[in-house]
Amino acid sequence: MAKLINLEVITPSKKFYEGQVRMVICNTLTGEEGFMANHAWACKLLAVGELWIQEEDGGDFKCAAVSGGYIDVKDHIMIYTDAAEWSQDIDMDRALSVKESAQAFLDAAYADGAPEQDNADIERAKIELAKSITRMNVAKGGSKRKHS
Amino acid sequence: MASNMQDIKRRIKSVTSTEHITNAMKLVSAAKLRKAKATFEKTTKYFHYITESIEEIFNSTTDVPEKYLIGSREIINSCYIVITSNRGLCGAFNSNVIKEAEALIKKDHHKPIIVAVGSRGRDYFAKRGYEIESEYLAPPENISFLETKEMTRPILEMYESGKIDEVYLIYTSYVNNLEQAVKTERILPFDIEDDPEVMKLDKQVEYEPSVEEVFNYLVPKYIEIKVYGSVVESATCEHAARRMAMENATDNAREMLDNLSLFYNRARQAAITNQIIEVVSGSEAQQ
Repeated sequence: MAKLINLEVITPSKKFYEGQVRMVICNTLTGEEGFMANHAWACKLLAVGELWIQEEDGGDFKCAAVSGGYIDVKDHIMIYTDAAEWSQDIDMDRALSVKESAQAFLDAAYADGAPEQDNADIERAKIELAKSITRMNVAKGGSKRKHS
Repeated sequence: MASNMQDIKRRIKSVTSTEHITNAMKLVSAAKLRKAKATFEKTTKYFHYITESIEEIFNSTTDVPEKYLIGSREIINSCYIVITSNRGLCGAFNSNVIKEAEALIKKDHHKPIIVAVGSRGRDYFAKRGYEIESEYLAPPENISFLETKEMTRPILEMYESGKIDEVYLIYTSYVNNLEQAVKTERILPFDIEDDPEVMKLDKQVEYEPSVEEVFNYLVPKYIEIKVYGSVVESATCEHAARRMAMENATDNAREMLDNLSLFYNRARQAAITNQIIEVVSGSEAQQ
């Protein structure tokens, strides 16, 4: 039996998840990384991406979309994120419309070559685009389905 | 006599309608308080973890970027975030915060930079000739985390650019439904030394991508969370204060009504006695 570790996922509006888990996989700025019990203490920033949680029964991973944040690994794991959504709660139509509008904005901005400097609007549109793509991936069960 | 009775009747009518209004406001505030308190309890419960974990990180590492620490530069310009409400009729809620803020600002010999959340504080300081750096007038109970993000960004930018050297947060903290206390907190720069509650951790912590990046993310997040938390807390206090004020007003109105109806009945009785005397003395004169 794999060792368990306590995980908490917190967003500004609610406690998104709490429980004993075998493993949690999240998308850090340098790529996907899994954390299990007895991990070295760490504090890492998360990019927009998917969050995978394997609960104590060792079954399939639960999948959620998160929009950046940080993970604090100590004797327990705490993940803070600005927003999180379970795959079943995602509104596909909304994600699609956000994606299209962000895409349209970026297409217009890049229509005559790349802009000299990235301004805040473009930066935001890129983040929106990444978020909506993540959401859509998560809603479909994740970009890469993970099995136990 | 009759005119006296008319006066009293008019007053009873006006006090009754005031009582209706304050009673209705009390009920509305009670409902709003319940809602605000639920949000407040939820957020503080979770923010507790986050602020604690961030504080722990600040304390356990020696690599905190110096610009965020106390003593890294001389403190000249201070920024004050004053959180008040948009509406009155809530007892001393606003004046307490304003009093505290003004005392703090008066001690400061340099030009204060005021960020007003809520129109009451803005109006007060604007009227007295202070310059308001920025203001946020959305109803505090509906403020979202995203909005506080917009609110804190310019403050952080000013801090980074050296335009301000410290940031104070003045808000009302919630003790219970009957009691609220004004709190002043310095949110920037950090004073690591003076927090004995958090123990130093001697374990090695991995930071990714780098310590600096992590802190550049965490520090603004910490400020955002602090500001959001105190806005939510202030909103709760506002409703609690208003509910109390309205309850007192309703009680006073009822007491006044009791007294007035006593006076009215006395006046009515006196008028009746007068009339009887008139009738009796009239009939006696005829005999």
